[in-house]
Amino acid sequence: MAFEGCPGSKMAYFEDKEVQDDAPEAKVKSRLRQWPVQLHLVSPMAPYFQGADVLLSADCVAYALGNFHGDYLKGKALAIACPKLDAEQDIYVEKIKGLIEDAKINTLTIMIMQVPCCSGLLRLAETAAQSAGRKVPIKYIVVGVQGEILQEAWV
Amino acid sequence: MEKYLNKGIKAVITEFPAIGAILDGYNIGCTLCGVGTCLLKDIVQVHNLSPEDEHSLMARISSVIYPDREVEMSFTPSVNAAPKPRSITYSPPMQGLVDEHTVIKRVLAMIPVIIETLDVSRYDDRRLVLDTVDFIRSYADKYHHAKEEEILFKEFDPNLEMVKVFNEDHMIGRGHVKAILEGLEKNDNQSVKEHLIGYRELLTGHIKREDEVLYPWMDRNLSITQVGSLSAMFTDVDRQFMDVREKQEAFVNRLEETNKFEEVR
Ligand SMILES: [Fe+2]
Ligand SMILES: [Fe+2]
Repeated sequence: MAFEGCPGSKMAYFEDKEVQDDAPEAKVKSRLRQWPVQLHLVSPMAPYFQGADVLLSADCVAYALGNFHGDYLKGKALAIACPKLDAEQDIYVEKIKGLIEDAKINTLTIMIMQVPCCSGLLRLAETAAQSAGRKVPIKYIVVGVQGEILQEAWV
Repeated sequence: MEKYLNKGIKAVITEFPAIGAILDGYNIGCTLCGVGTCLLKDIVQVHNLSPEDEHSLMARISSVIYPDREVEMSFTPSVNAAPKPRSITYSPPMQGLVDEHTVIKRVLAMIPVIIETLDVSRYDDRRLVLDTVDFIRSYADKYHHAKEEEILFKEFDPNLEMVKVFNEDHMIGRGHVKAILEGLEKNDNQSVKEHLIGYRELLTGHIKREDEVLYPWMDRNLSITQVGSLSAMFTDVDRQFMDVREKQEAFVNRLEETNKFEEVR
């Protein structure tokens, strides 16, 4: 069998989108309620995380999903990370644990891409949740490279 | 048609028995429901049929009501009808309730065994009935039904027939328990048996409808924020009822063990 390389970085080109280029694009309002957003940069002690519904999203998700802001970010506090390329991911586990235990977040939604390496983010969150002294509902959503929702389930 | 969509299902089935059979065909068990005040339109929506099934079900119902004319249906199929899942998955707080049902069902399963040789004039038999009543009151009612009535159902409009029907079942269950205790007082073996069976039948159907219809429907309609707060509130109740849960789960184990031994003898 020929070596096909990492599916996470395999090239694909999507030409035929249903959306016509000349169709008027409605202005989409940003639903981001905080700064910073990168998981290394945020602190679980930040006021916007306290008791919040938190979205932990893989970096690529927001680019693949046409309506990331309106359908998924709205009403939530955000942290983003890349489980494939980011360094020092043990800090990520501690931070997620801090969100559950110290920020006493209400729920955690994890959004990842369909590529295999992305499920690492879900595993980080599961490890953090198992070591936390508090339980919160955790949902995960798998997004396809063309923005389709492939799976949505509770952990 | 509008008139019938807003009518209680029992009244609709009484007027058109064929509709009961049609609903049975779609696995919608309204013919077995003792209360039957859910509105026809809610029943169709709550069962999360595929848009095609929903449409054909409504077409068949309207052809029963108006056999001679083509009815233009003002009924709009549920917009967020999700594709039918192969098996039901619940949100974490709902899964907790389903797990409690499993414990309750183990006791319901033992009721026929309990009544088989029941003689309430015997001390041991009276004790067994009292312990069963204690389980029903403290675990099934105070703990589990309190979570439903005081917390979960409060997230929904109290005027929804759907919710009222389930609350009503809880009340009927309490009536059976009261009658069981009165039967013990009067040494009325037959009445104790009848109400134990009555309770078993009531709760068996009630739990099935909650697991298969009510909870999945509620899950589809709860926001993630509501799921989070339900989870936190249920965790508090679980903590408060820790002793009750331990005691009653031990009772269920004992009940099953004892009856296994009796079978062996
Ligand atoms: Fe119930
Ligand atoms: Fe229940």
